[in-house]
Amino acid sequence: MNTGLALAGWALAGGAALAPLAAPARAHHAFAAEFDIGKPLRLQGVVTEMEWINPHAWIHLDVKGPDGKVTSWMVEGGSPNILLRRGFTKKSLEKGTEVVVEGYQAKNGENRANGANITFKDGKRLFLGGSSPEELPQK
Amino acid sequence: MRKWFACAAIFAIAPAVAQTAKIYAPPKTPWGDPDLQGVWPGTDMVGTPLERPRDFGARSVLTDQEYAQRQARARNQTNIDSQETVNETTRCDPNRGGLGNTPTTCSNGVSIGPPLYWDDRGKPNRQASLIVDPPDGRIPPLTAEAQKLAADRAAARRSRPCAATAGGCHDSWEDESLWDRCITRGAVGSIVPNTYNQGNQIIQTPGYVILRNEMIHETRIIPVNGPVDGRPHAPSGIRTWMGDSRGHWENGALVVETVNFNGRDVIVGTPVSDSVRLVERFTRLGPDTLEYRLTVDDPKTWTKPWTAAFPLRRDPKYVLYEYACHEGNYYMYNALTGARKQEQK
Repeated sequence: MNTGLALAGWALAGGAALAPLAAPARAHHAFAAEFDIGKPLRLQGVVTEMEWINPHAWIHLDVKGPDGKVTSWMVEGGSPNILLRRGFTKKSLEKGTEVVVEGYQAKNGENRANGANITFKDGKRLFLGGSSPEELPQK
Repeated sequence: MRKWFACAAIFAIAPAVAQTAKIYAPPKTPWGDPDLQGVWPGTDMVGTPLERPRDFGARSVLTDQEYAQRQARARNQTNIDSQETVNETTRCDPNRGGLGNTPTTCSNGVSIGPPLYWDDRGKPNRQASLIVDPPDGRIPPLTAEAQKLAADRAAARRSRPCAATAGGCHDSWEDESLWDRCITRGAVGSIVPNTYNQGNQIIQTPGYVILRNEMIHETRIIPVNGPVDGRPHAPSGIRTWMGDSRGHWENGALVVETVNFNGRDVIVGTPVSDSVRLVERFTRLGPDTLEYRLTVDDPKTWTKPWTAAFPLRRDPKYVLYEYACHEGNYYMYNALTGARKQEQK
């Protein structure tokens, strides 16, 4: 999702490719609007559902607190289209999988979080980044 | 003097020769039109800057050294993408090309921005910028009228206390971008490579070309009537987000002219007027390459028209997935309820 600054997105992409970045730019929606920088969190829980929806997937988790009480959380994921293209499938995160999420809680105080870092219990990353860039044939 | 004329003549001829050399005769549809059908993603061009750095001047192609730098950055980006979720030192570094991190959006070494693998990555190429005209590869200056509008908008933004808060103003849906609201990315934003969903598909029937863009699943059904525009544009009172397109064939290329925009679109970060006129030219340069050339003319916004051009690459394996943006747009709910919660504090 964009912030209306389509140019900023391009500037970001361009900066990465050509020039030193003058300023970081937002290519996606305003995460600082959605999530609270003052509420970092670490959730360890069990996946109950992967909501495979547009514009962003959401991972549902049950998290057991120190008192044994279970609370349900939703963690924002990437766009299903790009997750698929990056090799992520329905089977990548099956029900019952234990994951650790580092992120921030929603500003509205609900049990929603962004999933900046998602790892399996053994520390393995949920997702490995893209393959090596191929190059375009040159004239 | 004679030498000078000879040189001038050669330079005058050169572009025409270059043009001839790259002519490719595309296959024809059963009814005799050039066949542009297929899936043509723009993914390869993600990362090629829209505008050229000023010091390039009129030079539109990278040197070997600059190209090597671009290759190196792409390899580095791949490493960064895969390290993003584990590397404490890189994931909050605003200089490493991440998705929107600034020192203020990182705490505890965790970025508030999304992971880097949420974006498409292109392939290194030698094209200095997507913009090819003006010759310096940069968007022309705003008109005085547009400058005043921009200044007024900035002043209005600054006057609101919410502007100084982390995350900015979210008083109403109108504070959210057209994309955040799942309305559109517009005719330009739907095809110029950016972020993700770069898929484009062309389907033809006699008298029509259908252009599908994956981003917010836009579809334009374009009447295309032989070598000249046949059907007139819709009456000027009919105004839409994607405009009213008419096409014709010109030496094997599809030329599409689009007008009747509603004046609420944002093109490359700039709100535009209802006078926008787009001319798009789709030229097959080979079996797997379709050149896309776009000229944007909005005399109320920019002091002159500008043109972007880049190749789209055929990829029969690319699937245009549905991007039903309203399906679960929790962002709107989260941002607006989050802002209300902050107000109560």
